[in-house]
Amino acid sequence: MRKISGFIALTAALLTSAGAYGQFQFGASSENSGIDISGDWSYIGHQDAAYTTAFGAIADYGGIPLNEAGRLFALAWDASRQTVRQHQCAGYGVPYVYFSPGNYRFWEERDPYTQKLIAIHMWFQTSEVRRTVWMDGRPHPPAYAAHTFAGFSTGTWDRNVLTITTTHLKQAWLRGNGVPNSDEATVVEKLVRHGDRITVFTVMKDPVFLDEPYSKTMINIRSIKDPTAWLYACEDGEEIVNRPDEKIPNYLFGKNPFLREYADKEGAPLLGTLGGGQTTHPEFAAKLKNRAASEAEAMAEVAPSRGPRQESRVVNPDPNDGEIHVLKVQGNVYMLVGDGGNIAVQVGDEGALLVDAGAGKLSDKVIAEVSKLSRHPIQFVVNTSFRADHTGGNAKLGAAGEDASLPGSFFGGQAPVGATGFFQDPAHHATLIAQNNVLIRMEAAKLPNDMIPADTYLEKRRRKYHNGELVEMFYQPNAVTDGDSIVQFRRSDVIATGDIYDTTRYPVIDLKSGGTVQGEIDALNNILDKTGFEHDEDGGTMIVPGRGRLSDEYDVAEYRDMISIVRDRVKAMLDAGATLEQVKAAGPTADYDTRFGANSGPWTTDMFVEAVYTSLKQSSPARRK
Amino acid sequence: MICNKRRVGLFLRATTILALTSVCVLAQGPAPGGPPESPKAGAPVEMTGYWVSVVVEDWKYRMLPPTKVELTPAGFFSGGLGVPLNAEGQKVALAWDPAKDEATGEQCRGYGAANIMRMPGRLHITWQDEQTLKIETDAGRQTRLLHFDAPKGPGGDWQGGSQASWETVAAFRVPGLGALSGVAIEKTGSLKVVTDKLKPGYLLRNGVPYSAKTVLTEYYDVAIEPDGDTYLLITTTVDDPVYLQQPYLTATHFKKQYDASGWNPTPCAAR
Repeated sequence: MRKISGFIALTAALLTSAGAYGQFQFGASSENSGIDISGDWSYIGHQDAAYTTAFGAIADYGGIPLNEAGRLFALAWDASRQTVRQHQCAGYGVPYVYFSPGNYRFWEERDPYTQKLIAIHMWFQTSEVRRTVWMDGRPHPPAYAAHTFAGFSTGTWDRNVLTITTTHLKQAWLRGNGVPNSDEATVVEKLVRHGDRITVFTVMKDPVFLDEPYSKTMINIRSIKDPTAWLYACEDGEEIVNRPDEKIPNYLFGKNPFLREYADKEGAPLLGTLGGGQTTHPEFAAKLKNRAASEAEAMAEVAPSRGPRQESRVVNPDPNDGEIHVLKVQGNVYMLVGDGGNIAVQVGDEGALLVDAGAGKLSDKVIAEVSKLSRHPIQFVVNTSFRADHTGGNAKLGAAGEDASLPGSFFGGQAPVGATGFFQDPAHHATLIAQNNVLIRMEAAKLPNDMIPADTYLEKRRRKYHNGELVEMFYQPNAVTDGDSIVQFRRSDVIATGDIYDTTRYPVIDLKSGGTVQGEIDALNNILDKTGFEHDEDGGTMIVPGRGRLSDEYDVAEYRDMISIVRDRVKAMLDAGATLEQVKAAGPTADYDTRFGANSGPWTTDMFVEAVYTSLKQSSPARRK
Repeated sequence: MICNKRRVGLFLRATTILALTSVCVLAQGPAPGGPPESPKAGAPVEMTGYWVSVVVEDWKYRMLPPTKVELTPAGFFSGGLGVPLNAEGQKVALAWDPAKDEATGEQCRGYGAANIMRMPGRLHITWQDEQTLKIETDAGRQTRLLHFDAPKGPGGDWQGGSQASWETVAAFRVPGLGALSGVAIEKTGSLKVVTDKLKPGYLLRNGVPYSAKTVLTEYYDVAIEPDGDTYLLITTTVDDPVYLQQPYLTATHFKKQYDASGWNPTPCAAR
């Protein structure tokens, strides 16, 4: 009887809860709707059949809301860009990945004890794109974290709609004909399952290359049988033998020989094929009927517009909140963000080795954060240049450190009478290391001795085995200055680049301090000579930039491409006899200004263009006249 | 006695499950004793209002004047045409003659139910009555009536007869009880529309055909973006045993407008 009574009580409780069941709305739990998208799927290309994988004719951008920068970038794109080593295995981004042919697999990851949905995983055969959609409510990473082709995704269920929000995307293709999305793009996807089909609806917002949100549908159909093909091997090779690394295939503005090819073939007005937000509006069809007017408008779109240059629309990844933020890079290396230039910190059984010291405004906090990472004091600080953003903290960080290799050594007792800083008591001070020109320039600036690196080198490579790995410092002559170094942590597979690579602006090429545009391009290629990727141009060697977000090889390659292409444009104008003002007015950076440009502040677009122009002029005896 | 207790227990369990199941199902419907909830009153999402097409998918075919399809030397249709036409469908498509359509007063062949949602333009969606959702298009001045009760009329016109229903799924929803909680029939938020009795028309304005035997199945979903932008997604399957090798799948989207701006009724045009 007790059992029956118990069951009746349970029944009453159930009915009570059932009474409240009317409030139990479908999809009340954002992590689980009851709809399952697990299984094998594939893209069906009944619509947009021309755009599967690498298809898409040159200058076929109709329906893509490109802004001026996006259009100019695409028109400058030469299909041979794909032969450049770092572009051969580039991954597929979102939403481009849904155009990839082949097989897709989605599956759930659940906590084995609670059965709560942790993540939905996605695998796309072509390019072996691996996506994880976190369903457990975790936040997105900070802005200074690394980006990938798949980005960082979180999801929620609402009724039968899975909403996925993706940030931290890399620059990638919107269409396989050079139409880009930037690394600032974000995507919201809606996946709606109807039986054996999933409708995928994506909305991308990209302040860099789009003038309106890019909304798009795709359809996946269920594969009844587990397909046999799931892999996609890609390894880059020498596609154009003996082509210098600095040669990045591109078309000068207005010189794309295939500009009209698609339009002519399809009998389409050029204005339509050049894309833009207006091409997605129904009214656009009527506009195209006036061929003369549309042609005139189109011709104005194939070269940079006149007038004030666009500025960067990218949010500064540095929080600038008066705090030091720590990001694990990989291996023994961390990135500290918040005090001017980035600081790379290597820790281990020996003292901490820092690459750069920040601006010095938050040195106490830097020291505090390093002490949390390392049980030993700071032993070495390597300066990648003499700039204040990287050496401002030298004195404080040096004083807080200790070079345990010096007591009892020859150097330990060499302090001259009256010496200050490091020279006064080298054993109780971190050793500051840099290329010798850093010392020369800091001495010339009459900076205090305790800020100036005492341990300098002249040759192209300085090495040190520290904290269980080889640490190499490579001198990069005449890049942004004449004293630049990059630092490579071999086992951790991390390179700190200093200002040679800066994700927040055009490179600050300081001609007066020995910088040159060619040296900058060479330095970036030197970095790329030392990197590798883990999977389809994601991961592998990680790059700590002088400023900005954590990066990898592909990010550096895009930066290298940008400078090389701008160099080519300025050089062509210079060769044609253009003055500096004419070059500036022509907007040679127009497709990159919404990403890197500035019209005010310490480093403007005009200053960059002038540096490129002057550097090229100085490099040629004929042009110096 | 023990045996009797078990029987009592089983009886009680079965009764409880049945009762609970019915409660669960009822919980999704109208108040007990009240009239059945009308499709309009029970609409799980708001689809009424003005919507403007965002012309992205198949941009060339939708935005540019139609041009005749051609066979390439390899035997494929030119221009990235993705419609899975069979041989008969290809033959008809290749014979497209817009002048003939104009001469026979059939300029609206591209504006039938199987393609009208792909036409650049605007929709005005309203409830005609408690059982009928009305979709008016400014492109071609077409009207579709989506009947939640039986479609009216004999069909045989450009928009055919459309049967609408709010899509539902069965779900076990009381926490911790699984199947014991009973089956709840829940609306997903999707509108399902099945259309047949169509007058033959075009899947693309350039004469790619569908036949009178076509059955069109559509799902309408509303997607709301974080910034409040709202989109109507229409996922379409065209089953045509006469001209297609396999079902033809497309998805089309519209953006919500908050007024009638841009509403511009225009007649059908064959080219």
